[in-house]
Amino acid sequence: MIPRNRALPSEEKIISVRNLKFVYEGGVEALRGINLDIRSGEFLAIVGGNGSGKTTLAKNFNGLLRPTGGTVRVADKPASELTVAQLSRIIGYAFQNPDHQLFCASVEEEVRFGPVNLGYPEDEVKAKVEHAIEAMDIHSVRALPPHSLRLSERRRVSIASVIAMDPRVIILDEPTTGLDAGETKALMAKVSQLNREGRTVVLITHDMRLVAEHASRVVVMSDGRIVLDSDPRGAFADLDLLRNCSLVPPPVMLLAHSLAKYGVPRDIISPQELVMRIVLGKGDVR
Amino acid sequence: MTGFVDLFTESNSALHRMDPRVKIASVIFLSLLALIISELGYLLVLAGVMVLLLLIGRASFSKTMFAFSYVSRVMLLIVVLWPIFDPSGTPVLLEFGPIKITGPGILAGLATAVRVFCLAAVWYVLMFTTSQRDLVRALVKLGLRFDYGLSLAISLRFLPTFGATVESIKDAQRARGLELDRGGVAKRARNYLAVLVPTTITALKTADTLALALQSRAYGARADRTYLRELSMRAIDYVALVVVVAAFALPFAAKYLLSMPL
Repeated sequence: MIPRNRALPSEEKIISVRNLKFVYEGGVEALRGINLDIRSGEFLAIVGGNGSGKTTLAKNFNGLLRPTGGTVRVADKPASELTVAQLSRIIGYAFQNPDHQLFCASVEEEVRFGPVNLGYPEDEVKAKVEHAIEAMDIHSVRALPPHSLRLSERRRVSIASVIAMDPRVIILDEPTTGLDAGETKALMAKVSQLNREGRTVVLITHDMRLVAEHASRVVVMSDGRIVLDSDPRGAFADLDLLRNCSLVPPPVMLLAHSLAKYGVPRDIISPQELVMRIVLGKGDVR
Repeated sequence: MTGFVDLFTESNSALHRMDPRVKIASVIFLSLLALIISELGYLLVLAGVMVLLLLIGRASFSKTMFAFSYVSRVMLLIVVLWPIFDPSGTPVLLEFGPIKITGPGILAGLATAVRVFCLAAVWYVLMFTTSQRDLVRALVKLGLRFDYGLSLAISLRFLPTFGATVESIKDAQRARGLELDRGGVAKRARNYLAVLVPTTITALKTADTLALALQSRAYGARADRTYLRELSMRAIDYVALVVVVAAFALPFAAKYLLSMPL
């Protein structure tokens, strides 16, 4: 319907999770048997209420947490045989709070930190840093201390510092929290561009509008389980399920549901689509 | 996440209800008592009293085990090492080369281990039965400036939060390929900069926000503070205080004035 300019996912499973269980030290069961295959090139959104296990799942991908049951395979190798540092070459993880990541005297040094840790030769480090600075559009602040920047810029620096490690998968943990609408739009445009260039993006979020506009696949989590795994259209069709998971579908979707008795289909996910259905699909609307 | 354990357990035992000032005084007197007694038999009696206090204070079993898992290692070390380094007295039980194991040496080691147990237990009883809030309140009532008391209370309150932040920062840097425990001393120290700097900055930001939050709630608006919860000594608190002072003073007098072997 709306032309979507995104790389088609390949068949290669970059992350493959089987019957994953995770129990925190205090005895909290955060994951209760997760099965999930993430294909290379996908834009996957993991959504769910607070405490549903989104972040715990993502931390099991890159070894920050190790499963207490089940297996995680990354690029066809068991993750259990790889260190966090080795996994970080394949999976980049941008934390929710950029202040937990930033510590260098300048943005450029900050972005260099990852690739230098991974031991790339200097010319490759330079190229990767330039690409990351370009991708997150932080040229103008590259010489400034990262902590002096505003939140939206700090977030971009922290994502750039992950991109610079040239990972095939980028995990973004609630990257738009605290950003205004304009900042969110600008950031997500850059993230979509990364996906079009072929990187797998895993977006952890509550914001269903981001999901509708950007993701190619949605995994809904609740109480440590995956309760739904589909494209955004399918995910938004089940209002009750979303409500049970403390999620609110985008307003346009709710409008479409209210207009259903006038013949408007329920699986609308963008305002443009709604307009096209109403204006162009006159036959459907009485 | 390495757990930070708050030893205090909510309950309504006699020790929980005791005035925290009395508890602090008691802990100090009982600690001194454990230090002046050196006979194993009397120390065992004192240890029995400590166990009784733990029971009266309804200390949770898991927290007690956690607390004493460290103390018991120290006790074991003392029991093993003391006789090796203390060759005084007779009978000599064992002798290889310069090492002489004597009966009194073994007893002294045991006594010291029990003393360590008593010292640890009495402070644990205080921690198990007194909330941080009550401790600070008692210190303020005993003459600590309120500002310092508040700072202390806030620091204690933020320790667990701070621990969680440090763990999150470590994770964030590990995800960037940092291996904290690799390399020589200099390399490791440099590695920890990546944790130290964000930790400091986050802490300063938190402190700043907290100061604003305090001011916006009119902290320091009047110099003569009133308190929502006043501490008041009940009869039982006076009784407890007298008992504890006597428990300290009598053995003290017996040992140092009457030269009785204690």
